[in-house]
Amino acid sequence: MIKLENVHKSFGSLEVLKNINLEVKQGEVVCVIGPSGSGKSTMLRSLNHLERITSGRIYIDGQLTDEREEGKDHLKVSQKRISEICTELGMVFQRFNLFPHMTVLQNVMEAPMTVKKVPYSEAEKTAIELLIKVGLEEKKDEFPSRLSGGQQQRVAIARALAMKPKIMLFDEPTSALDPELVGEVLEVMKALAREGMTMIVVTHEMGFAREVANRVVFMDKGEIIEEGTPDDVFLQPKHERTRSFLQKIL
Amino acid sequence: MNLQQIYTALPALLKGSVLTIELTILSVVFGLFIGLFLALGRLSKNKILDKFCWIYIWLFRGTPLLMQIFFIYYALPLMVPALTLPQFPAALIALSLNSGAYLAEIIRAAIQSIDKGQMEASKALGMSYGQAMKRIIIPQSYRRLIPPVGNEFIMLLKDSALVSVIAMTELLRTTSQISNKTGNALIYIPSAILYLIMTTIFTYVFEKLERKYSVYE
Repeated sequence: MIKLENVHKSFGSLEVLKNINLEVKQGEVVCVIGPSGSGKSTMLRSLNHLERITSGRIYIDGQLTDEREEGKDHLKVSQKRISEICTELGMVFQRFNLFPHMTVLQNVMEAPMTVKKVPYSEAEKTAIELLIKVGLEEKKDEFPSRLSGGQQQRVAIARALAMKPKIMLFDEPTSALDPELVGEVLEVMKALAREGMTMIVVTHEMGFAREVANRVVFMDKGEIIEEGTPDDVFLQPKHERTRSFLQKIL
Repeated sequence: MNLQQIYTALPALLKGSVLTIELTILSVVFGLFIGLFLALGRLSKNKILDKFCWIYIWLFRGTPLLMQIFFIYYALPLMVPALTLPQFPAALIALSLNSGAYLAEIIRAAIQSIDKGQMEASKALGMSYGQAMKRIIIPQSYRRLIPPVGNEFIMLLKDSALVSVIAMTELLRTTSQISNKTGNALIYIPSAILYLIMTTIFTYVFEKLERKYSVYE
């Protein structure tokens, strides 16, 4: 479903991703853990071109979507193509990034109507179904500023799902939330995983990773240090850096 | 100066005020279009467009408005005879081009003040740059635009008095004509009051607009 090959990314002389190779299969839930600044978010954001890689190849759904060397494109990717790829990837951000000038319902309807030209009535129907799914139908006419952080993040998940993505990317979805609001967002994500959605989740929620992930990837200083089942990584970490990270946070 | 004199002068003063308001509103409207184009140009990745917009703003902010009015009305026809303009269009063009330069910087600052996450979320949802600007970024900048645009509007309302140099009989020129004719300079007092009434009304309108666009905060 997703494949990264020899992916490198530098900001000037700072190398934030060093030779990343990762494959995610359909229906898999992969949790990416690691200290801050380890390149987790950058890796996630390079999948939908929010960050451009310096070199390497990225495949999404079997298609080459990015091939670069020395910061130059090998594959000529048009803006239109990037936009098409993005509609297959739904993304949820740490800071929600809801559109504050639109109501909850409008937030969820916006992209299908603007990008896919879905007619109003159909977009509204889908949006309401999704809001029921995340438990926020009664808030549909509120502006995001009137919602709690947990509610905002659930709307953001509904907004991403409205584009009917094949893969969902979560970039520390609960890191900006008050502790008592984390649970409701994780519940929605668990439900999504049970439905068979392919998910890549960058997270500090080890409980969630243990319970839901098929595979856990540990990153440090721009490298994938180790990956395996949650039991492997959490209970029998092979690498010293993984052990010391887990000791600090558990 | 007595009330009778003011009463006699009033129709002429009001007529001048109408012209002042017309010039101001039209110039700000045209200026907003010019300013939006310039602001998007300054923000674009196209270096030539960015440079062109930069030069425009540099030119119109860097020279006196009074000189720009003279230039468009007197000098331009000497260079290009086809551009010989009557007073009203010449005045309107000068004021619009000038306010466009100021509004461009106001609009650019407002767009840049919108959280970067908004553009990222739009792109992640598959929107193009143009769609994101039109649907997400620019609508959010309206509320932040209103106070500085209101300020620019009030400034322009007063600066429009400068077009009296090309014999446009807006409020200031009307007043000085009456003053010259009657030999009574106190006619500037009711004229100043008219300016104050106009600026007060528009200040109120812009405050209303600001409140209207704040509903979602």
